[in-house]
Amino acid sequence: MRTGVYLCQTGTGDLDAVDLHSVVNYAGNLPNVEMVKDLGTMPALDIEALVAEIRAHDLQRVVIAGDSPGFFKPAFTTAMNNAGGDPSEVRLASFRQHGASFGIGTVRAKSVLACATFGVPYGLAAVPDTTATHPGTVVIGAGIAGIQAALEIADAGKQVFLVERTGTIGGHMAMFDKTFPTLDCAACILTPKMVAVGQHEMIDLMTYAEVEEVSGSPGDYIVKVRKKARRVDVRACVACNVCTEVCPQRAPSEFDSGIAERKAIYIPFPQAVPNAYLVDGPSCTYVQSDGAKCGVCAKKCPKGCIDLDQVDEIVELEVGNVVLALGYDVYDARKIERYGYGVLPNVLTALEFERLTNASGPTSGKIVTKTKRFDKRRKLEEWVFDAEDGAPPTSVAIIHCVGSRDANHNAYCSRVCCMYSLKFAHLVKEKLPDADCYEFYIDMRAFGKGYEEFADRIKAEGTFVVRGRTAKVTAQDGRMVIRGEDIVSDRMVDFPVDMVILAVGLVPAAGAAELALRLGIQTDTDGWFSELDYNSDPTDTERGGIAVAGVCQGPKDIPDTVAQAAAVAAGALKSMALGRGLDSRASVSLSDIEARAAELTRV
Amino acid sequence: MAIRANPKLITELEIYGAQDVSKCYHCGNCSAICPFSKEPYIFPRRSMRSLQMGLEAKLESDLEPWLCYYCGECSAECPRDAEPGETMMSLRRWLTARYDFTGIARLFYLSAKAEILAVILVALITGAGFLLYGFSQGSITQYNGPDAFLPASSIHIFDWILAAVLLALLLTNCARMWWFTVGRDTKVHVPLSAYITKIYLLPMHFFTQMRYARCEQKRPWVIHLVLMLSYVTMLVLIMFFLAPMWSGPAIDWRVHVFGLAATAGLLVTTIVFLRKRLKKTEVQYQHSHETDWMFLVLLIVVAATGLMQFTLHRVGLETAANINYVIHMMAVVPMLLLEVPFSKWSHMAYRPLAMYFADLKTEAMVSKEREAVRAPQAA
Repeated sequence: MRTGVYLCQTGTGDLDAVDLHSVVNYAGNLPNVEMVKDLGTMPALDIEALVAEIRAHDLQRVVIAGDSPGFFKPAFTTAMNNAGGDPSEVRLASFRQHGASFGIGTVRAKSVLACATFGVPYGLAAVPDTTATHPGTVVIGAGIAGIQAALEIADAGKQVFLVERTGTIGGHMAMFDKTFPTLDCAACILTPKMVAVGQHEMIDLMTYAEVEEVSGSPGDYIVKVRKKARRVDVRACVACNVCTEVCPQRAPSEFDSGIAERKAIYIPFPQAVPNAYLVDGPSCTYVQSDGAKCGVCAKKCPKGCIDLDQVDEIVELEVGNVVLALGYDVYDARKIERYGYGVLPNVLTALEFERLTNASGPTSGKIVTKTKRFDKRRKLEEWVFDAEDGAPPTSVAIIHCVGSRDANHNAYCSRVCCMYSLKFAHLVKEKLPDADCYEFYIDMRAFGKGYEEFADRIKAEGTFVVRGRTAKVTAQDGRMVIRGEDIVSDRMVDFPVDMVILAVGLVPAAGAAELALRLGIQTDTDGWFSELDYNSDPTDTERGGIAVAGVCQGPKDIPDTVAQAAAVAAGALKSMALGRGLDSRASVSLSDIEARAAELTRV
Repeated sequence: MAIRANPKLITELEIYGAQDVSKCYHCGNCSAICPFSKEPYIFPRRSMRSLQMGLEAKLESDLEPWLCYYCGECSAECPRDAEPGETMMSLRRWLTARYDFTGIARLFYLSAKAEILAVILVALITGAGFLLYGFSQGSITQYNGPDAFLPASSIHIFDWILAAVLLALLLTNCARMWWFTVGRDTKVHVPLSAYITKIYLLPMHFFTQMRYARCEQKRPWVIHLVLMLSYVTMLVLIMFFLAPMWSGPAIDWRVHVFGLAATAGLLVTTIVFLRKRLKKTEVQYQHSHETDWMFLVLLIVVAATGLMQFTLHRVGLETAANINYVIHMMAVVPMLLLEVPFSKWSHMAYRPLAMYFADLKTEAMVSKEREAVRAPQAA
């Protein structure tokens, strides 16, 4: 097939990673390639000229090669059409999509281009060989994704090391009150799984630990884990709470999303796994004073299980598979000043409301507005949630797409916010039937099984659903006024409200980019880990034996996360059953790819 | 009546300066952020929608573009970078072209070359005309007196003729604007009494631009107001006090204090606007249409040559003053003749008019609704 190759760059990719000159020379020597043209960065495409070129060279196939060639496809498709060619023979060779970076850029670009000229998907031609695999697995991150993957693998009788950064497993899901669309109690689903993990003989649980380094090769990785000083012996601690009672230091509780306080020695929440306390070094007087002050918890502990002088420990794990289940952070709502988060006391993030409405939260699930209080010790006025003194809000506004679908913040849709916002509306209406509840949305994304029905149900419950984004939350007469355009009713609305909930979007977890770099796997422009193939290989990564599960691969809800985690487990178990797993894609040589692509065209 | 859609409308508007209208996904952020967006005039989102749908007739009858002062907040906060502020700006240009019955405005907006050519042509004709007139009846070395190159009295007559022509053109366009936006609107009937009782709105909006003061940023309002007031001061001086301005070399401070203040105002504000347009740090100055540059360049040349005129005449360089005056007029005449009825200057009339019309229509709609509520009770 007579093929023409056009190189067009959008300039959004990592251009330095690819030697375009070398790619152009290489393309000219490929069989079938009649012409190669480098059009540079963001070329102004003249369709008439393209038509003339296609005709002059009698091209049957056109390959657009570049960082994001899809950007230019419409022009080439039109040109191909106008020239009387087959528009489906306009093929893309996307360097960025297939990971042309990290020093393999030029070779990768060449292989992707070669496959495109053969008309063969790159993923089909570039299949790495298998390599012997160690039966152990390390799962990084113990949210619902990590828990599910670990349980699936361990239940099959294989060793799992579950590494979790915080003091307990459970992740964000443990903080939630209900799950959409079934309104099941999140803890009721998660806690049995957490307990199963804690008791599993094939799971070596390492909480309060972080992955320092991953070395070795696919199937034979050595993972260096830093077990941070917990200062409490997990096996001896019986969670009697004496240490917390005597501890004089307070800090915002991570588990309660900062709306309540914890002590410097604490248990994240009563159902934590492992059910043991830990000392937060930065807020502990003893640790901060290098042992000169305090230390009262260690003295009072009836089991003698507190060792305030404990230091970090490094352990090395030998594994065949690495599962990344890092989860996410929520978007920092302070960046959107117009919504007043951090300035107006009753503007909450979704996670804060989740804790407020949770029966295990600081107000025992009572939805109240904040009360002003004078903190004698710190000598400052602060706004706190108080179950007794706090007044229930008479109206609540929920703002969708906070930090999502916004060119000034994150362009992508966070996928879960519409549904959890609807869930919030239900919880408000359930607990405060007389309260008005307003949802300001752009598009209602109720895409999953039972989701649309859920949305209908919430609307039927009397929530005012306003199609229109709010631009501003302003304080007025002790309340807040929320202004927006009600697009469907063609009017402007100014609703006075007592509480505003910001449906903050999801962002990659802190440290995810750094870990990706250390592991040698790709991230997309938004920072999510790149899967090998969006459609057909959504769990594997560029590097053999390293798989992704859950939100760290891209925003998704709990059902999708659980499904993906199980898929990851299946992949890991397959490699263990065979004793061999896939090598890294980078191990496939250019000549092998060429040969395989040519072979595939013959079939 | 069937609604006609023009699918190419966005492409047309892009020549007028519209940026990424098709990117808009109608979240309503812009309308929510705009301090002027209020029923029945909700914008800019609705204008974005009309544009995307190609509703040419609807847009032609819209007053919304003139109610926007382009503070730029909507564009800065737009989640799609769809530049609603610039859309409103381009709609104002497009409407200026629509109101103009001669088609000259449209030509200028669509082709910078045509505008530049027209300015040069008018400038050359003006220059030649004034030189011919001067040489035919006076001496170039004389500024005042019986043998003056360009006697103030003749200039005054010329000014009034020019003013009459401009006024006629502008008023015709204003009448067309009224017809498009109020006159032919069958849904709203504005009673004559309302036109009279609300007439105070016109000078109020014209002289105070108080709506602009409601934008989040106050400085643009101040600069804009100084520019407009300086311009109007100069206009009044020239139309009614040309003789005392002209006489000299003694300085008649009763008029010149105003003249100098207005010149200073014009020079400072045009320089500020030129700098902002060159620096492009603020969103509202990021996309300058050719007509914006032409407007500022002509204005600064007029103000600078005007000041020079004052100086040359006072220091006694009469020949130089005469030549400078011809140059001054070569900028003044194209600026007035081409910009006032056919380009950016016309917003001086359209904007207060639009606010006046908008108020009238809103009131008419409210009273109509009230009647509709009352009617069933009577029955």
